[in-house]
Amino acid sequence: MSAEKKTLESRLLRGAHKTLTGLTPALESVLAAIIGLFIGALVMWLWGYDPIVAYKAMLLGAFGSKWGLADAGAIAAPLVLTALSFSICLRAGMFNIGAEGQLLMAGLATVCAGFFVLPPILHHAVAILFAMSAGAIWSMGPALLKLTRGVHEVISTIMFNWIANFLSLFLIGAFLINDFSADQTIAIPSSAVFSKIMRGTDLTYAIFVAIAFALIVYFVLWHTAIGYEVRAAGLNPSAARYGGIRNKRTLFLAFVLSGVSAGLAATTILMGSSAIHSMYRAHGQLLHVGFDGMAVAMVGRNHPIGILFSAMFFGGLSAGGRLMQLSPNPVPVQMVRLVMGVIVFTMAIPELVRIFPAIVNGTSGFIDRLRRLVSRTGRRRST
Amino acid sequence: MTKHEEPSHRSYYLRAESITKVYGDGTTAVRDVSVELHPGEIVGLLGENGAGKTTLTKMLSGLLPPTHGRVTSPSGLLRFSSPREALAFGIGMVHQHFALVGPFTAAENVALSHEKPFTRVRLAQAIERLETLMEQSGLRVPLDVPIEKLAVGEQQRVEILKVLSRDVDLLILDEPTSVLTPLEVDELFSLLRKLSDQGTSIILITHKLKEVQTITDRVVVLRHGEMVGDVKTSDTNTEQLAQLMVGQALDQDARAVELSGEELPVHRDVRAVDRSVESILHVEDMTVRGNTGETAVEDLSFDVFGGEIFGIAGVEGNGQTELVESVTGLRVPISGKATISGTNILGVDPRHIYRLGVAHIPEDRWELGLVLPFTLAENAILGVHRWERFRGPLTLLKWGQINRHVRELMDRFEIRATGPGAPAKSLSGGNQQKLIVGRELAKDPAIIVASQPTRGLDIGSAKYIRDLLVEMRNAGRAILLVSADLDEVLALSDRVAIMYEGKFMIVSEPEKLGREQIGLLMGGVSQEQEVAA
Amino acid sequence: MILALIGFTLSGMVPITLTAVGEIIGETAGLFNIGLEGILLLSAFAGALGATAYGPLMGILIGMGVGALISLLFAIVCTYWKGTQMVAGIGINLIALGFVEFGLIRFSSSAGSFPIPDSSQLFRWITPLGLMSPIVLIALILPFFAYWFLKRTRAGLILKAAGEKPEAADVAGINVNLVRLTAAVVGGALAGLGGAYMSVAWFGFVSKGMSGGRGFIALAAVVFSGLNPILALLGGLLFGFFRSLGLWIDTLIPGFPIPAEFLQMLPYVVTLLVVSGAIGRVRFPKALGAPYKRE
Repeated sequence: MSAEKKTLESRLLRGAHKTLTGLTPALESVLAAIIGLFIGALVMWLWGYDPIVAYKAMLLGAFGSKWGLADAGAIAAPLVLTALSFSICLRAGMFNIGAEGQLLMAGLATVCAGFFVLPPILHHAVAILFAMSAGAIWSMGPALLKLTRGVHEVISTIMFNWIANFLSLFLIGAFLINDFSADQTIAIPSSAVFSKIMRGTDLTYAIFVAIAFALIVYFVLWHTAIGYEVRAAGLNPSAARYGGIRNKRTLFLAFVLSGVSAGLAATTILMGSSAIHSMYRAHGQLLHVGFDGMAVAMVGRNHPIGILFSAMFFGGLSAGGRLMQLSPNPVPVQMVRLVMGVIVFTMAIPELVRIFPAIVNGTSGFIDRLRRLVSRTGRRRST
Repeated sequence: MTKHEEPSHRSYYLRAESITKVYGDGTTAVRDVSVELHPGEIVGLLGENGAGKTTLTKMLSGLLPPTHGRVTSPSGLLRFSSPREALAFGIGMVHQHFALVGPFTAAENVALSHEKPFTRVRLAQAIERLETLMEQSGLRVPLDVPIEKLAVGEQQRVEILKVLSRDVDLLILDEPTSVLTPLEVDELFSLLRKLSDQGTSIILITHKLKEVQTITDRVVVLRHGEMVGDVKTSDTNTEQLAQLMVGQALDQDARAVELSGEELPVHRDVRAVDRSVESILHVEDMTVRGNTGETAVEDLSFDVFGGEIFGIAGVEGNGQTELVESVTGLRVPISGKATISGTNILGVDPRHIYRLGVAHIPEDRWELGLVLPFTLAENAILGVHRWERFRGPLTLLKWGQINRHVRELMDRFEIRATGPGAPAKSLSGGNQQKLIVGRELAKDPAIIVASQPTRGLDIGSAKYIRDLLVEMRNAGRAILLVSADLDEVLALSDRVAIMYEGKFMIVSEPEKLGREQIGLLMGGVSQEQEVAA
Repeated sequence: MILALIGFTLSGMVPITLTAVGEIIGETAGLFNIGLEGILLLSAFAGALGATAYGPLMGILIGMGVGALISLLFAIVCTYWKGTQMVAGIGINLIALGFVEFGLIRFSSSAGSFPIPDSSQLFRWITPLGLMSPIVLIALILPFFAYWFLKRTRAGLILKAAGEKPEAADVAGINVNLVRLTAAVVGGALAGLGGAYMSVAWFGFVSKGMSGGRGFIALAAVVFSGLNPILALLGGLLFGFFRSLGLWIDTLIPGFPIPAEFLQMLPYVVTLLVVSGAIGRVRFPKALGAPYKRE
């Protein structure tokens, strides 16, 4: 009887130990987030703001009400997609930071799709298709440069970002400008707009698009041979080659998928959360979504599920940040990006992990002592 | 344990007193070793992989503090915080993987360790110093060529010169002969003798018994971190040393062959191989370029038939790697033909080559054979992940099938791990290799290309894999075996080729070759007669 | 007009060249810092604030100090703490974006831009080429000095060894991490000089988009130069030229058919071309981008 008890206990223990060690990457992200928030508070305090009031307002704004949560979700949707864009290529061993540019091109494409007259669902589909294609095409440039000339994708994607910036400025001014406001493009008709889930917030069905895509990416990466090849190529290109994987083709595919993801991100904004369904000349709504996505990706450990959580976190920070600006002690929402930057920087440190085995060991030691206590009582009872 | 009695009045260079090293994760690398080193002595440090030789020498050279015990010299406790300090004291180490900067010339490499930071580099001085050294030691190297363009043997000479240029009293060499031809080994040994005559102490780390016999005055044998022997070389022989090194009387064949260098009848089947049928692997006039543009393989032709082990012996770096890469789809030769059962395999994707029935056990299991962060299951399908067994429509992976397959492999090949979901990097070297072998054999191959299959493995795993190869051979498969371990190749092969500078010096049955003959051939000295196999 | 073009080319070259030379020193030692953009922005901001409070010279020094400090932090994380250089660099860029935008709102009356009073800006020489800052001279001369330093001194040898084969440097008694730290600090100071130059000695204000991708262009210049500082100077001049061409083409050739946006694109396209063409022949230190672990 006591032998069975022991196996049950030992299995529980092993399970607990495994979960704790499996959670280590998540705990790392949490620690990084805490450090980021702390530094943010420090800067706020040094510059004469009250961090406690600010953070309280932020938290309340984000998670204190269902509207706050909805707004957080609305902000999260595009972040999920740009984060995926970064992560897919990272899994393949590449730093694709071209989401900003791919996003812009896809935004233009979405606006163009607005020219058609189509019934709603079809119109949505066409617009999404346009956006995904534009994003994919814009990512092919850096991909080809890397695969044929060995150009480091970091530099090429950044150049493409800037080229996209000016190109879109030109295209908007030349072809797409709104008759009534030289600041915006033509609006996308309502047949191509995602309907809102909750009135008074920015949350639309775009969030489902984001979640669905995240799940698709997860599935592809871990449950198909193609995804397997991408991950292998990223972790060990030599072994991948030995395993018959055509690295060049696989990397190209990863780039294209990244572009698709960034393109989708554009639709979630222009067809979704944006206040107006047209592009600002100065790219207002699309600015920084790409770079912020990188932060989301890293905190989410480059895993689609982690990214979903991480995006909600950042969405919450941003949504709360907006409310923070309205509080009696207004702090500019840009503080949030500062916090994000610190979080990313902290995540560059691998030693963070060292702290956690200590906690894990400490916890299992604690469980051990508990167990011994229990078995001793057990023995006494049986005598 | 044989203790070596030293007259107490003899001066010592350094002395280790009961030193022990326990690492942070609890492993004891060295346990309670006491030894003394004298000037002008050549001491062989003998032991297998993992016996603790490198750790011991690190402690002896003052770079690694012992957990217990201490290392002293007549001038006091020996403790340095960097290789530079040790060098300044007079202890210099020549590593297995040279500490040389590729694009620098020999002179620049030497200059690196000498002058003060902001002075202009006085290359002329460095060159002068080197030339004097080269005269004294008899080592010659070109001084103005970037060392990455030099041959391995030459690079090692630069490394040694670098250390010598600091006037060392103790020279430590870590497996120096593993990359040298027999001729270069002789040159090295005569240099060592010269140095010891001049009063320099030398520690030679090796696992080669014959070297120990040739050059050392004294032998210290390590086994599992403990010192099991400290004898004068003249007082012992290879059999005794082998015994000390390994400990228990092992299965004669594989191990004994490896250790004593004698030829023993191994599991060779007397069945004659039928060479009238088409060979499985046919290579014709193949020429392959290496990474730096040199000709690695030159006009090579050979066949491997089913039911035989065709071994390629030779010092590493003579084209074996490029040869294996060419027949496994990892490199494209510039000319020639190669087929598997008639189908061309040159310039063909590894994927397709595997489908033709080729299994490849790569020489570097970490770089090629496994994706270390992947789980066992994910590694088990590397190369076959697109086969119908494991893949459904839309390239969906059938994880259920795959996991079952992995469990079978773990069973059949006795792979110790917590389960198919364990990351490959958590396995020991032996288990990792068994995973790779299991994966490859599961392809039901017609030919197995095994490159350094037992490198770095413990005795048990190595024997297991050798037995497995023989079993495969007996079942009628063809095996192309490439190994730098001469004894292994000779023991296992039905036919052996000795490779030197991209060509086969000879192809013969192992029994028909004399040991000295083999040594000469490996060193490039060709012979008139070619024994047709 | 041509003179003005040359003048603008020289001014535009400064931040690129200074940052590039600094990064060359860092990369030679094995550190790849993608956060240069962030450093430029932060030092421009710090320089602006410092100059306003303490005068132009202090502003410049503060800018350099900020650059050095950030690079030092980056280097510590990536050497002693074995951090991932790419991620840390991206983090720096994000921090800079947030911090500077935040700071601009906090410290300036007009959102998005912080003007520096004329008295706090660094003096400029009146030349036929226009108003030129003395720092331009520094940027012209420094690459030659850096070239000599890397090639001819033992310090240069040490740097190269640390970046190429840290194990060999270690055995030779060199403290690899310390060398990398020093290289990073020097590089950061130079980038800081470039950033402070932009606000204090050139534009006269600091705004949130000020760096304009120059940090990344500097990286491209580093690739183009093959880690040769003199070629980095050439790269900087090229960029300065194309940038100013974009601004001036309308005045030089009125009615020029190509729209302004395309001309503004030009520097980035040229960078792409240059980088694509240059990659083949460039050789980078083997240990670049990886932390050094002693066995």
